[in-house]
Amino acid sequence: MLRGFLNARSPLRILERGLHGGLGRGNLGLVLAGHGVGKTPFLVGVALDGLLRGDQVLHVALDSSVAHTRAHYDTLFDDLAQATRLEDEAVVRGEALRLLSIRAWPRARFGVEKLREALRVAEETGARPGLLIVEGFEVAAASGAELDGLAALAQELPAELWLSAALPGEQAALPEDIAPGRFAVILALEPGHSAVALRALKDHDSPGAGKLRVSLDPRTLLLKRS
Amino acid sequence: MNGELANIRNIGISAHVDSGKTTLTERVLFYTNRIHRINEVKGKDGAGATMDHMELERERGITITSAATHCEWNDHRINLIDTPGHVDFTIEVERSLRVLDGAVLILCGVAGVQSQSMTVDRQMRRYKVPRLAFVNKLDRSGANPQRAAAGLREKLEHNAVLMQLPIGLESAFEGVIDLISMKALRFGGANGEQVVEDEIPAEQRAAAEAAREEMLDAVSMFSDALTESILEERVTEELIHEAVRNGVLSLELTPVFMGSAYGNKGVQPLLNAVTRYLPSPEDVENTGIDLSNDEAPVLLSSDTNKPLVALAFKLEDGRYGQLTYVRVYQGTLARGMNIVNSRTGKRHKVGRLGRMHAEKMEDIERSTGGDIVALFGIECAFGDTFTDGSVEISMSAVHVPDPVISLSVKPAQQKSQENIAKALGRFVREDPTFRAGVDPESGETVISGMGELHLDVYVERMRREYGAEVVTGAPQVAYRETISQRTDFNYTHRKQTGGAGQFGRVAGYLEPLPAGEDFEFVNEVRGGSIPTEFIPSLEKGFRAMLAKGRLIGFPVLGLRVVVNDGQSHSVDSSDMAFQAAARGAFRECYARAKPIILEPLMKLGVEAPVTHQGAVLKTIMQRRGSVIGTTEDEGFCQIEAEAPLAAMFGYATDLRSATAGAADFTMEFARYAPAPRDIAAELEEKFQDRRRLAKDED
Ligand SMILES: Nc1nc2c(ncn2[C@@H]2O[C@H](COP(=O)(O)OP(=O)(O)O)[C@@H](O)[C@H]2O)c(=O)[nH]1
Ligand SMILES: [Mg+2]
Repeated sequence: MLRGFLNARSPLRILERGLHGGLGRGNLGLVLAGHGVGKTPFLVGVALDGLLRGDQVLHVALDSSVAHTRAHYDTLFDDLAQATRLEDEAVVRGEALRLLSIRAWPRARFGVEKLREALRVAEETGARPGLLIVEGFEVAAASGAELDGLAALAQELPAELWLSAALPGEQAALPEDIAPGRFAVILALEPGHSAVALRALKDHDSPGAGKLRVSLDPRTLLLKRS
Repeated sequence: MNGELANIRNIGISAHVDSGKTTLTERVLFYTNRIHRINEVKGKDGAGATMDHMELERERGITITSAATHCEWNDHRINLIDTPGHVDFTIEVERSLRVLDGAVLILCGVAGVQSQSMTVDRQMRRYKVPRLAFVNKLDRSGANPQRAAAGLREKLEHNAVLMQLPIGLESAFEGVIDLISMKALRFGGANGEQVVEDEIPAEQRAAAEAAREEMLDAVSMFSDALTESILEERVTEELIHEAVRNGVLSLELTPVFMGSAYGNKGVQPLLNAVTRYLPSPEDVENTGIDLSNDEAPVLLSSDTNKPLVALAFKLEDGRYGQLTYVRVYQGTLARGMNIVNSRTGKRHKVGRLGRMHAEKMEDIERSTGGDIVALFGIECAFGDTFTDGSVEISMSAVHVPDPVISLSVKPAQQKSQENIAKALGRFVREDPTFRAGVDPESGETVISGMGELHLDVYVERMRREYGAEVVTGAPQVAYRETISQRTDFNYTHRKQTGGAGQFGRVAGYLEPLPAGEDFEFVNEVRGGSIPTEFIPSLEKGFRAMLAKGRLIGFPVLGLRVVVNDGQSHSVDSSDMAFQAAARGAFRECYARAKPIILEPLMKLGVEAPVTHQGAVLKTIMQRRGSVIGTTEDEGFCQIEAEAPLAAMFGYATDLRSATAGAADFTMEFARYAPAPRDIAAELEEKFQDRRRLAKDED
């Protein structure tokens, strides 16, 4: 039932249809949004979508704690379970969140090597994440080599790797200090009147990226009920 | 003195994750001049919010969990006590809620009431903590204070009443309309420090009038004087304040304020509300138990001249050594005085007394009544009561969770028997989570508690302090049963044997309760189909069935019984008959309610050098554990996980060998969770076997 719901309301479904098959393993994705618009809930939605499909997820938090990050997952799961009147809620939650691993690191210590090491540790326990989320990494300040390193890592695994970055203003345009080249997909969240608009600024190599635009519920960052 | 007491507010701020607790606290400290600049939560200015006082957390911009700080506003002292935002059934949470006299509930204006707010709210209700609500983030897209208030009413069953209306919303949010003064409030200056009062915008005049009517309607319930003044059209602001305060103190009204902490809007009116409507220590009744008088309850009074009674509700190991936060319930705590721990009988001298302000400590000479202060270097346990030695009072027990593990103990030599009894008697008195008793089936002495380590400590203490060697049996996990589905019942109990018959019919349904709740009995019988005198008989009958579930013979919890219909007979119905009907109804419908087995889940925290991280994670996985996350800093990692108690026996040894002794761990009961299917099946099979055996023997 939860799956049915995700199929209907997860923005990822639209992206998969609207974009060329979603982000796809081996690629780097970027989510842009202004202060407090909901980068975390959106990415948690992406991750939960994966978890419920049986993917392992590694969520690296550079700007919040484990408890804080986990609370976002619990909240979204509660919302989903409630909306679908999920019966085996506790069991499904247990099974899905078992696949999630959260790592909280000081921002200054983050780097490609650190991430590699975390993946090695994960592998020791038999985990192979298909989805990586890194929150709080300052994309604009990152060197080209660092981004290349992350992209290479995504390819080796292969896994989808999502980063997020803050938009300075309300305008959902790529900030000048971020080079789009290394990202396969770039999405922007734009607050609007009682909805958050999700726009694709880049969709692989397709030129028609600007066309994709969907409305999300500002509360859950899931598709608005029509 | 009393005048001063009336001006103290001991409050907590409770919020779901990311609703803005840290951001709001930062504004509160700024407007009350406790700090002189505002640092954003994830401040690029490198300073971090003031309440986030640990280095690591500062770097990440999160709130620490244990700070208690204070500030002054309108001649009131506000002690801000950090309050957990989500569930944990630990006694520590319960104790920190207990020291609050009131609380501000922050809701995100977009998300409204979120599922995890419900548990904290229930805990607050249990401790009778009056609340105000603050709807935050009105500057965000999708914000809607009316919807948030509706959530308070529908999901938390608060009598929530808007005290303000927003002027503009989302990116156009400007300020609030105060429905008492009927003024528009905007917030000027670089950080919103100037509250600018103005006329209500013409286009909102009508809406404001209507909202004020609604507000007056709701609050006049709490004051006859206000009701009269409304009829006579001479309402004053004072009369409204008084009515709101009455409503809040009686826990029957939750006034709703609003704003944007981040946008520096609406915070000062909230502070006014805290001082106006939330209780002072004088307004709250606190009781202790008199240890010298058979534990009779005694009413405490915040009178500073009475003998001291203070509760240690938070311990912190930090740069000041052991820091103990205490709430003074009666009398005065002063530097240099001697205090006695009423649990251990130990006497301590108060060398230093302080008031915490985030990481800074201010030394003080004495506490005022009802105050919250910090003691330095005084060894005690969390939850201990201190007195001046002239009384033997202990603060009454908080809601204590049931033990999750038990162990049989036998004296190694017969002569130890007596000492064991003595030791157990003392432990039970000291620690409400530790129990001892005799198993009626085996005749063995059984001790139970909150985990393997917990019991180990007492076994060790019996040996050391009482010279009693004991032989322990295998640890037994306290499983529970619960139902997973709503099920109707309609049961008739009828018996006709010679003389008077027995008759009772009862109908209704069973349904699962949210996690953490034990049992609820609801009577919805209308029209007297079951006479009221027999309703307690029904409750008794249902409760009797909870002691032993039919799946594996463990107690049943987490369900609500709603009785809504039935039938009685003028002669044959009796207390007995309805108790039997309830038992029959339960027996008959339990299986249909899809019962499942719950097992205790432990919260596990392991600290180890980063190099051992993989090894530690493996030890957790092997024990059906689920890793929530790891935090790394300075070459060390802290691993948070949950694991079933049943799989954690002997973990200490295991961890030691996996990490060459380099790791430390803590483990405590977190909650009950459904046992995996294979484990449940095994338990059921064992239970059925035992039952069959017992039958064969008969
Ligand atoms: N737009 C907006 N953002 C806010 C507001 N209050 C807090 N935030 C942001 O919400 C996030 C979480 O806030 P925080 O104070 O850490 O919440 P906590 O988890 O409850 O302590 C931070 O990014 C804040 O800057 C507000 O009134 N408006
Ligand atoms: Mg946050």
